[in-house]
Amino acid sequence: MTGPISSDKTAAQLHRLAQDDGRAEAAPLLGGRHGKHDALALMTGAAGYTDDLALPRMLHCKLVRSPHAHARIAAIDTSRAEALQGVHAVLVGSELPTPYGVIPWTPDEHALALHKVRYVGDPVAAVAAESEDVANEACRRIDVQYEVLPALVDPEEALRRGDVKIHDDNKHGNVTKRVQLAFGDVDAALAEAPLVIEGHYRFHGSAHAPIEPHCAVAVVDGKGLLTVWSATQVPHYLQRELSKVLCLPMRQIRVIQPAVGGAFGGKSEPFALEFCVARLAQKTGRPVKCLYTREEVFLAHRGRHPFDMRYRTAFSADGRILAVDSRALLDGGAYSSFGLVTTYYSGQLLAAPYAFGSYRFDSTRVYTNKPACGPKRGHGSVQPRFALEVQLDKASRALGLDPFELRRRNFMGEHATTVNGFHVGSNGFLLCLDAVERASGWRDKWGRLPAGRGIGVAGSCYISGTNYCIYPTELPQSAVQMALDRSGRVRVFAGTSDIGQGSTTMIATIAAHELGVELDDVRVVAADSDLCPVDLGAYSSRITLMAGNACAQAAKTLGMRVREVVGEAWGVPAERIVLAHRRATDPEDPNRWMPIQEAFILAEGKYGLLGATGSYNTPKTGVHGDYRGGTIGASPAYSFTAHVTEVEVDQETGEVRVVQIWCAHDCGKAISPVLVEGQIEGSVYMGAAEAVMELHEVMPSGLRDPRQRRDSGPGRDGLLAASSLLDYRIPTSLDVPQLSAIIVEAPDPHGPYGAKEAGEGPLHSAIPAIANAVFDAVGVRIDHLPISPAKVLRALRERSGTC
Amino acid sequence: MLRLPAFDVAAPRDLPGALHLLADPNQGARPLAGGTDLVPNAKLGQTRLGTAVLLRNVGGLCGLERRGDHVWIGAGTTLAELATDPTILETCAALGRAAARVASPQIRNMATLGGNLCLDTRCRYINQSEFWRSALGGCLKSHGSECHVVPGGQGCVAALSSDTAPVLIAYGAVVEVAGWRDGQVARRELPLADLYDSDGTRHVRLAPGELLTSVRVPVPGPHVRVGHRKWAVRKSIDFPLISVALRLELAGGALVGGRLVVGVLGPRPRVLDLKGLAGRPMGAAFAAELGRMAFDRCRPLPNIPYDADYRRERLAVEVRRLALGLLDDPPHCSDA
Amino acid sequence: MPIAEPLDPAQARRIAVVRLHVNGQAHAVAAPTHWTLLELLRYQLGLVGSKQGCDKGDCGACTVLVDGLPTLACLTLAVAAEGRHVETVEGLGVGGEPHPLQRLFAERGAAQCGFCTPGMLMSSAHYLDELGRADAPVIRRADIAAALGGNLCRCTGYTKILEAVEAAAQETCSRAQAIGDGPGGAA
Repeated sequence: MTGPISSDKTAAQLHRLAQDDGRAEAAPLLGGRHGKHDALALMTGAAGYTDDLALPRMLHCKLVRSPHAHARIAAIDTSRAEALQGVHAVLVGSELPTPYGVIPWTPDEHALALHKVRYVGDPVAAVAAESEDVANEACRRIDVQYEVLPALVDPEEALRRGDVKIHDDNKHGNVTKRVQLAFGDVDAALAEAPLVIEGHYRFHGSAHAPIEPHCAVAVVDGKGLLTVWSATQVPHYLQRELSKVLCLPMRQIRVIQPAVGGAFGGKSEPFALEFCVARLAQKTGRPVKCLYTREEVFLAHRGRHPFDMRYRTAFSADGRILAVDSRALLDGGAYSSFGLVTTYYSGQLLAAPYAFGSYRFDSTRVYTNKPACGPKRGHGSVQPRFALEVQLDKASRALGLDPFELRRRNFMGEHATTVNGFHVGSNGFLLCLDAVERASGWRDKWGRLPAGRGIGVAGSCYISGTNYCIYPTELPQSAVQMALDRSGRVRVFAGTSDIGQGSTTMIATIAAHELGVELDDVRVVAADSDLCPVDLGAYSSRITLMAGNACAQAAKTLGMRVREVVGEAWGVPAERIVLAHRRATDPEDPNRWMPIQEAFILAEGKYGLLGATGSYNTPKTGVHGDYRGGTIGASPAYSFTAHVTEVEVDQETGEVRVVQIWCAHDCGKAISPVLVEGQIEGSVYMGAAEAVMELHEVMPSGLRDPRQRRDSGPGRDGLLAASSLLDYRIPTSLDVPQLSAIIVEAPDPHGPYGAKEAGEGPLHSAIPAIANAVFDAVGVRIDHLPISPAKVLRALRERSGTC
Repeated sequence: MLRLPAFDVAAPRDLPGALHLLADPNQGARPLAGGTDLVPNAKLGQTRLGTAVLLRNVGGLCGLERRGDHVWIGAGTTLAELATDPTILETCAALGRAAARVASPQIRNMATLGGNLCLDTRCRYINQSEFWRSALGGCLKSHGSECHVVPGGQGCVAALSSDTAPVLIAYGAVVEVAGWRDGQVARRELPLADLYDSDGTRHVRLAPGELLTSVRVPVPGPHVRVGHRKWAVRKSIDFPLISVALRLELAGGALVGGRLVVGVLGPRPRVLDLKGLAGRPMGAAFAAELGRMAFDRCRPLPNIPYDADYRRERLAVEVRRLALGLLDDPPHCSDA
Repeated sequence: MPIAEPLDPAQARRIAVVRLHVNGQAHAVAAPTHWTLLELLRYQLGLVGSKQGCDKGDCGACTVLVDGLPTLACLTLAVAAEGRHVETVEGLGVGGEPHPLQRLFAERGAAQCGFCTPGMLMSSAHYLDELGRADAPVIRRADIAAALGGNLCRCTGYTKILEAVEAAAQETCSRAQAIGDGPGGAA
């Protein structure tokens, strides 16, 4: 791995940041090559995931799911299940009638289907029994009568068919959200531009496929306090929705998020199992666990939305983007999920790092009778980014410009405002381009590789959290409580959700850096609503920036107290004292030092228990446009990425082998470079897999001849094509390209120590970089993802006229 | 967790004990060796299991050795053993390489040759949960009367996805089968090619209670070349989307006989005799002709989860490349 | 967790006592005949390090060593483990010290969410065992990737896992070298 890349100006800023801290030089801990704070627990089986939890007298919950894609529930008879020995409670939708939804404006889901089922797999009833086997048997004995309705699995059809409504009370047919926004005179630009590139792009569905299935455990104590452990990435939203649906005050609900075995956006809203175990625990007075099968994980879904996109992009003769005009149809599946935000993101997040002369987008999300789509890593912006970056590649070919040059010419600059009004602060995009151009040997390869081998470039931008919370509030987005004690230990209580990305390590690193202890001296208690202040959750790439700032604030407060006390003891100004490596030192007098523990004791003696809080809220003024929807997608700081990909295409089979991917990502400041590299590598892997391999598909598309389709019948439509990790193929260790992660640092004034996100941005341009490389290799465009061998072969034949 | 349904377990100590149990029509008994096919199928409710008859203590089912002009392989030999055994690599290397391409390292450590040859047929409409299949309304292989692969079809066309069956048929392997008749072990032998039936619901022609106990692989002579190619989306874990084996019998640089064995089409491997091509000189033109022949005579169905039309195109390429590889390589040890 | 299933007489015979060694310790465990080794380890012995990811042998998160070979515990009947020696991630370190693989996975960021890690470690441990037994060990990235081909990871893109195993392999080889070269070595 190469070391981090930063501009001179950046280094100067960093130096100033370090001096602000009263440090002579940057401490090696922050920015050093350490592993995860909790790594050994992960190595030994001690980490404790939700399914590892076994409570005395625990019951097991299983769900009954609809075999129909669309049907009215005529009757449910649970008596045969209730009569089964070992069954303790049965739950149906009417017992939890309050609708919920992670977005408060679109509550269209129920814990269990109330009157209608809307996809094959929609949960209808739940059982708590002595064992999973008895619970399964009880589920078989629940008789549900359905009146089958026509199923809509095709989004175009869902848009057309006014006679079939998936949600009866939805205002506009099956449209869940439409966003139309325009900035500048797009039509004029399109009419006058010397070059207009038009393209029709399709992005397929894909699933998160974390290796840990969803799991939840609930228990109610004698005073009615409900505790729910869940494999969630949004414990706070879970607590809120539980409160709403169970009609229980939030103070009576404790949500604990144990170690989570991967999420990627797939666990970022409440699911049926959490409500069911909670209600069943209330009903039975016993702990209840529900562990989804892998098939149920695919049914719960919330994966990447399939998009159908039409783009027109106008260019000047020298390659400047004069206008971007897009229309997109988003296949939402049966429920809204984050769909309102997805629909905005499909347009709002596209307007950087390139300056658009004008911009218009029209995005429509429709309901279909399929598992609901939601946020997957790079929420809503991965699909349009694919389209735009391929459009740019087409333009560079048309104009005879090197695609790097085209991108550089359109660079928006730093501390600039996008056409749709977002204020972008730091911007290391050019550094990213330089880095991948150099590392990949682009100049020696571009246009010079043998037939069948190709190279492609793409760039992208992503948010580091959003300025506005999902629900309206002026309260901080993140907060920590911190305490030092006489053992020399730092305790941090943070609401943050570590889902594998390393937020606990980030907290510990900042605390250790500020307070002069080692990573192992920091105890982070996280994601327990009884013990920790609120953090909104692990989504929108928000934690490092937000919780990092909150943590730094608390740690600096405590650090200053410690330094004051030590300074007093030594008769030197507090600002001169440095806390590092378990010592307080005076750099001007190298012989003078004391163990950090002693310093903490001195300070506790003066101040009493050393505690501080830190909280972070986003800037709200001057950061976004003043128009309806202008706040959605606004972020305190934006990350930037560039990819170069080299591929090899087998022209006889159409198979694309991704040979190597170079990804440079501007994360502002890598607090833990090993973890940042891990985020880059993981993102690139996931994007590359979506580009060429993964496909989340629902029958009948591609599976059954449309002429044979039926409008009704026993659930023929809407079945998952791939509901296992065998059929939903995610790459193995033998299928991954060589990944080269390059860290770029353009520190942002809003980020802690300049840090921005690293977990989602690096996925985006991985996909168009592959598509562009395929074109470079064999001269065909595959604008409908995934880039399957069959499509490549077909395109090659069409080009040579031998189809 | 996806649970296994309840069943009985028996662990007989010898072959008669196992066969006796397997022959009992009231037991719903199934032999269980590696369990890598039976256990997932039982978890999915696709295979009904009354009694699992564990074969682990049954002697005489494991091991392999050269016996004169053939190699004897006990059905209980694991695929990992096959993949690394020096005798196999010396005498029938393509079998070892085919075994090395099965699924994953863990599965190869568990799975046996007998199990891979008797692998249940696979189809996108059957290798699904009980819930999924009930939502579908069943199929010919699962509590239904309709085929979703071939609309109106009366016979189940689920595919045999064995990686080792095509290559063993190419070698001309013979399988030994044991049953329980009149209170004693009854053995018979049949060519592996004859083991399979075209009905995907009972594609292995074993009488109730019979067990495949060993395989005899004739060691090919110096003028015979055998190779195997597999294509799957992933380089590990996946079942084959294409599995082909080729046997070329050569004399003086021209073909005198041989066969092309194509797997994963339907319930039994398709064996195409190459006698009609006798006299063809070996070279790129011959390889291309073989590819075209495979394309013309094999029509993959949308039974396993991949684009069937593409599989047909790909088959032609894989067959051609297999032939080219065999022509380039030293005798009988080519592979993808 | 005790077996809390209501037992009718027909089911009583479907409980077996399985005797096996787990991480060097002899156990006799009562388990229903339809339980898998994974269920026995996780729910009877409390060895929750081995994970359930895919239900049916598709992901490798449940990988344990049975008689020294990487095996999918979710496809192994508990009763079929009778008399076997099973090693799980809990038995990987020695005397409270982490195994070199555990240390290197931790240092190199080879685990993110950690859910595939126990299975990944067991497959890696077997790779190192084989390497250590080889007469002339050669460390190849491709061999490591092949050895881990049955363990899916969704976080890392495998890069840091392969790096960590390679580093452990280098340690294994240099240790073998040192033993071989040393005065008491049986070179």
